[in-house]
Amino acid sequence: MAGRIRKRKRILIGSHDICRDEFCRRDEQYGTIPGSIEAVKEKLNEIFSCCCDFICREISCGKEGSIKILVAYFNGFVDKRVLNQDVIHPILEFLAGEELHDGSRIYRRLKESVVENNDITEVNDMQKAVDAIVSGEALLFVDGENRALVIGVKAPQGRQVEEPDTETSIRGAREGFVENLLTNTTLIRKRIKNPNLKMEMMQIGKQTKTDVCICYIKGIANEEIVNEVRNRLNKIDTDGILDVGIIEQYISDSRFSLFPTVGNSEKCDKLAGKLLEGRIAILCDGTPYVLTVPYLFVESIQNTDDYYDHAYFATFMRLLRLVALLLSIMLPGMYVALVSFHHTVIPFRLMITLAASRQGIPFSPFTEAIMMILAFEFMREAGVRMPRPIGQSLSIVGAIVLGEASVAAGIASNLMVIIIAITAICSFVVPPLIRATMLLRFVFLIAANFMGFLGISLVAVIVFTHLCRLRSFGIPYMAPFSPLTLPDLKDSLVMVPIWAMVTRPGILRQEKASGTKGTKRQEVNGRQ
Amino acid sequence: MCRKKRKTVTYVAIIPLLILLPLLITACWNNRDLVNINIAAGLGLDSAEDGKILLTVQVVEPAAIQSGSSGTGSGGAQRKPVFVESYEGETVFEAIRNMLSVVDKKIFLSTAQVLVIGEKLLIQHSLEEILDFFHRDQEFDYEMIVLVAKDATSEEILRIETDMDPIPAVYISETVENTVARGTVKKTMLIDLIKIMGSNEIQPAIGQITKAGENKVKTEGTAVLRDGKLVGWLNSYETRGYLFATDKIKSTIINVDTENGKVAMEIIRSKGKIKVDFKNNELSALTVDVKVDANVGEFRGKGTLATPEELQKLKKVLEEEIKKEITMAIDKAQRVYSSDIFGFGAYLHKYHPKYWKSVKSNWNDIFSDLPSDIRVEARIMRTGNINSPADGDE
Repeated sequence: MAGRIRKRKRILIGSHDICRDEFCRRDEQYGTIPGSIEAVKEKLNEIFSCCCDFICREISCGKEGSIKILVAYFNGFVDKRVLNQDVIHPILEFLAGEELHDGSRIYRRLKESVVENNDITEVNDMQKAVDAIVSGEALLFVDGENRALVIGVKAPQGRQVEEPDTETSIRGAREGFVENLLTNTTLIRKRIKNPNLKMEMMQIGKQTKTDVCICYIKGIANEEIVNEVRNRLNKIDTDGILDVGIIEQYISDSRFSLFPTVGNSEKCDKLAGKLLEGRIAILCDGTPYVLTVPYLFVESIQNTDDYYDHAYFATFMRLLRLVALLLSIMLPGMYVALVSFHHTVIPFRLMITLAASRQGIPFSPFTEAIMMILAFEFMREAGVRMPRPIGQSLSIVGAIVLGEASVAAGIASNLMVIIIAITAICSFVVPPLIRATMLLRFVFLIAANFMGFLGISLVAVIVFTHLCRLRSFGIPYMAPFSPLTLPDLKDSLVMVPIWAMVTRPGILRQEKASGTKGTKRQEVNGRQ
Repeated sequence: MCRKKRKTVTYVAIIPLLILLPLLITACWNNRDLVNINIAAGLGLDSAEDGKILLTVQVVEPAAIQSGSSGTGSGGAQRKPVFVESYEGETVFEAIRNMLSVVDKKIFLSTAQVLVIGEKLLIQHSLEEILDFFHRDQEFDYEMIVLVAKDATSEEILRIETDMDPIPAVYISETVENTVARGTVKKTMLIDLIKIMGSNEIQPAIGQITKAGENKVKTEGTAVLRDGKLVGWLNSYETRGYLFATDKIKSTIINVDTENGKVAMEIIRSKGKIKVDFKNNELSALTVDVKVDANVGEFRGKGTLATPEELQKLKKVLEEEIKKEITMAIDKAQRVYSSDIFGFGAYLHKYHPKYWKSVKSNWNDIFSDLPSDIRVEARIMRTGNINSPADGDE
């Protein structure tokens, strides 16, 4: 899979040594910053032609307007008040009595003392200047100088930090990530006050130039995996990253698997926990979701609340989640297998109940199950997409039509409605795997209809084999069960109390987990 | 390292495989909807003319049973919960298949709870002949209860309509299950008969069922077979003696007469053991060892049960009573039916295989001539809430 990327043309963002790409050619096209303010203005206006929100203001100051400076930024993107107070005003005051001596001297003074903003960088070529403007910073240019100052006066944007809708918790923190990358990094820093918490910034997307940040704790995270993450991110070659989900698809180990090998979370405390375990986070500007890698199967039945309460309850809840997961995948198939094939294993009394509920139903159990599951999936999808006020009427229609009317009309049996209801409820117990279970349910159902329990067993063996073969950034997906890592079992199905968890997960820190030598390297990099 | 890991992966893949394997050991192969089968609850076999077999099937109508709870079966008049259909055939299998000419859907047999065999059939044909199909076909539930109908045909028994359970077959099987508390009928499952079929070590004894009034049955007593054919019956007391000896009693009530009145003793534990004694390399006696624990359940009469002497007396009487029942059972099996339903032959085969070989062919006759030695040991545990229990009694 990674090999597929390698075959394509690739670029290293921020580096200029590979210039075969269109993106890099454009780089040359802009050239260096011209020395005169008219030339700069002309060039900027040419680059930003037809951009009504682009503002390029020429200020004449000094005695008789002898000194010309140029400020360029995107309207609404920068905080104008800060720009005026910290940048323009001090400059005007400083230059009030000055005459034009030497462009570079003024430039140096401006850079070193006059501008009150701390976030100042110097750029030498036009490309970087343009990049700075489009990412919301202000460009300050002084006449006669072929350098420019980039002043970070980006306006705080987006919504407030609030409780995430998708991952509500009972006892955990209510803070969730937002769309703004800087807010998100701050939220993480607030929880892990340690210089070893590293944030590596890069830009991905030829057109969108989205800020992406790799976050990990040096010393805890496995360097090999960090490198692997870096490599995979660098290999992404696409026009735009609109959501972290796109990154997820690019960096997944097994792109055709139903099971997620990259985790995501909206909760700060959960992410901090993952980082402390040695996982690596990938933040992306514009998305409130943060990716975590490596992502293992056990994580889907873990929950942050588990760690905040007594281990007994956590263990019980985890077993419950596992049962729910299995039920949500297999229950309709099991029912069909029982009713269509294996009458001999049904106890006599239950048999009568089953037969009574099936009496007069014109469809086979399989057709009935498919119909009901489809009806439920329609309802779920409609419920997710539609405006909230209509949701109520949908649930009424769903409950009456699916629950009551279909049974009364003799289209579906009572028991089938119960089975589908249990399946539906169970599928929501393990949210990370909702999509995988949805599809697997059909596979199991079809197998059950053709071969009964034999079919279910066959499909189950195939799925298990696939799970054992799956890897996430070189770490076996089914760890710590396969390969059996005894110390890591402390936080798997059975959870020991938090004070007894003395060691970090060992499987993530194995020297050669995604190593450069041996066979595993191939598994990480060369796997197709 | 890689190989080692792959090995672990294989092992972990094997575990779910092993867990799922039992699922494969489940009957049929074809997709058959529950709606398209007739669920049999009880089966009956009788003899018809010309050596034919009359098969009776009691079939459940699930919708009628569930009509109270679900809305689907509400229309129309009240349907009967079961229907009973009989059909003649040369063989059992033929009868079952040809019955489809009068019955709408294929009859599903593995739900059958009871198999009732008419006494006439069992006199004419041997058990091996009758049960061959039940043994050969994979669809039968081996835990199905087998009964022999006395003074009635199995068809008559399956056609009763009882108020106690909507399905008569379930009612019948439940009365047999009650033997756990009363010990007066032998609960015989199909598997029990199949296990001993054709062997000489032990003769089959099957529970007995009779009609008791218009819509009731009574399961009490035992049918005794010899060489696969019915030879006679044990009444309920003899049956209990037989069950004491063969260690099948869970609990029962035994009435004993004392000087002061009648006492009902509740047996709460019983251990029975049979043995064959040798003297000078010759068979000398059939031994039965029974140990029981009993409580006093009821006392009709005067006096108390407070002193150890009184309890000691009671104990003696109880032992005598049990011994009497066992003797009755053995005597009848020896003198009247000459059929080793106790399994002394199995004991011989197990512990004296060489000797067994020499007596194997005419064991039932040898068995009939042997004297019996019956030892019963009883313990009285409690005398109930009134009359404080005496200390010191064992």
